[in-house]
Amino acid sequence: MESDPKKTLLNTPSRIVHRFPLDGTGLKRLTEAGLAWLRTNQQVVNALNVFPVPDGDTGTNMVLTMQAAIDEISRVKENNAGKMAHAIAHGALMGARGNSGVILSQLWRGFARELDSLELVDGESLVRAFRTARDTAYKGVVRPVEGTILTVAKDIAAAAEEALKVTQDPFEILEFIVPAGELSVQKTPELLPVLKEAGVVDSGGKGLFFIFEGMLRYVQGLSLEVSTVAVPLSAMKLEETMESIEPGQDFEWVIDFRPHTPLQIDTFYSDLEEMGTSIQLGEGEGIYRLHIHVPENKRDLPLHYTFSLGTVTKATFENLIDQMDQSAGKSHNHPVVLTPVKNGEIAVVAVSPGDGIGRVFASLGAAAIVQGGQSMNPSTQELLQAFENLPTDKVIILPNNKNIIPTAEAAAELTAKHLAVIPSKTIPQGLAAMMRLIPDGDFVSVVDEMKSSLDEIQSGEITTATRSVEIDNVEVKEGQIIALHNGKLVYASESIEDACLGLLEKAGTEDYELITLFYGDTINQREANRIADIIRTKYPDQELEIQEGSQPHYHFIISIE
Amino acid sequence: MSEDTTPIGSIHVSPRAIATIAYHAARQSYGVVGLAPKNFMDGLAQVVVKDPTHGIEITYDGEEVNIDLYIVIEYGTRIKSVATSVANTVRFQVEKALGMPVNEVNVHVQNLRISDID
Repeated sequence: MESDPKKTLLNTPSRIVHRFPLDGTGLKRLTEAGLAWLRTNQQVVNALNVFPVPDGDTGTNMVLTMQAAIDEISRVKENNAGKMAHAIAHGALMGARGNSGVILSQLWRGFARELDSLELVDGESLVRAFRTARDTAYKGVVRPVEGTILTVAKDIAAAAEEALKVTQDPFEILEFIVPAGELSVQKTPELLPVLKEAGVVDSGGKGLFFIFEGMLRYVQGLSLEVSTVAVPLSAMKLEETMESIEPGQDFEWVIDFRPHTPLQIDTFYSDLEEMGTSIQLGEGEGIYRLHIHVPENKRDLPLHYTFSLGTVTKATFENLIDQMDQSAGKSHNHPVVLTPVKNGEIAVVAVSPGDGIGRVFASLGAAAIVQGGQSMNPSTQELLQAFENLPTDKVIILPNNKNIIPTAEAAAELTAKHLAVIPSKTIPQGLAAMMRLIPDGDFVSVVDEMKSSLDEIQSGEITTATRSVEIDNVEVKEGQIIALHNGKLVYASESIEDACLGLLEKAGTEDYELITLFYGDTINQREANRIADIIRTKYPDQELEIQEGSQPHYHFIISIE
Repeated sequence: MSEDTTPIGSIHVSPRAIATIAYHAARQSYGVVGLAPKNFMDGLAQVVVKDPTHGIEITYDGEEVNIDLYIVIEYGTRIKSVATSVANTVRFQVEKALGMPVNEVNVHVQNLRISDID
């Protein structure tokens, strides 16, 4: 790193408040803190995905990988640092998801190997372990791509060696490498053109930085619960906050405001933490969107507070207790009724991203539904659990997503049952296959029949681009509505209805007979009906059906047959 | 040979060209430490002439492009995750360069390379 380490360390006095021996337990505490902070910033990392389809990618993958590591060590009573590191590495290996997850597990593997069975980590062994972690990670690829998590790991290892010249204390080394990691992340677009084009930093590198920053925040006594950065507006996931309402947090504010002076994020968050919970801050083109849950006695504070900072452009206020009662009632009205399967019959397991689509699969005879889709791939284990207890040995899986097909195939290798994977890449393909199911038919011929149905249907998906990009000669700006035809980007537009029409045109709808619209949880029934009417006017000869799909991310999933 | 027709004529892309894109994408994909001959004869040919597309097989049936990758993975990584990643990377890079969809990317793990034993 360019700056002189001695100077930097002297200029910023250490702010460490918790010191503990870095034995097995100490290492465990730091790792847990790293995961907690990564989880808090999961959406920030996810928002850095380069491809414009909203999937939970890097942030989620890294959290799941680290979670597997923590699960592994939750039972370990070991107080030997090296042995603890080996357990962490083993858990990370077993749970590694995605590219960044695999690299993360390799970093842990190298780290653990260097520590071997060392009782207590000191500055020197920590720096050696960082170095071996870096070397191990770099060995895993023929042509390492710079500007990724690998580069950040390399820069952190280099910074640690510099730090060792002035301090032997592992915590002070940590204090030194976190800013170096941040700098390294900021520089990733200069090394990797695809990042620069998309205007983002590398997501894996950022995730690794958050793990280290979480460890540092923990020893500095700072909160790991509330993020200190604003996420892009399009990446805010307000619906998820409904699941985590604490007692006494009865009211929800969503306030859009434009600050008069640049927002001091640190003080902003600490002021808000005084008022309530579930705090989220989004940012886009100078506008900030604040989300917070507050108790009765602090009901008006967020509004007064944002007024004091700048111009409030929009504020919505909801009574959560009332809202919770309603949503509980709603899902109660339409339970998913699965088809019981008899001994020897063919059972179908369908992967579904939303309750509504799950209900449609169930009504067509699915014996089990596994939650999953674009943002959340189910694990092999979840698929296995769905059918292992069914009273039949003939099972068909409909993955209904390109990325879930390999998981389903892995399940096929692990089970003793006859398992066939119908490679359905979209919901419409899955439904088309489902129509061909004959539960008491001959397994091989039913599978063939279902497979052959996949090409007979056109699939459309309408979603919001999470960033600006140009793919397949279609130029997309962040926040635009995009249409995917059979998984391929074909059209971008400002409105959902226009995107639907663009898609139907690209799919050659005039040659087909039936259009089915599944509306997602971003759209209410009235809005869906309005768009359906527009489509009916344009395609009077085609029959149009409309169904509640309640899938996340996708405004509409459309089948054309 | 993938084909596309434009107002001034048609565009042909040879399987070899597609294989070269896939080859570079695979080598940059994390966990992949090499490509492998898919059989003995292929391996023998590789000794005589170094081919920048070995370990990659492209089939095109007139409508769809299918890619088969024969790879060596680093021992100690989660093979399933690495295989999924390489398939995704190859699909993305080929589709981006070619401007047409890839139907299937099949990954064949031919061997593991052991750099370190834990």
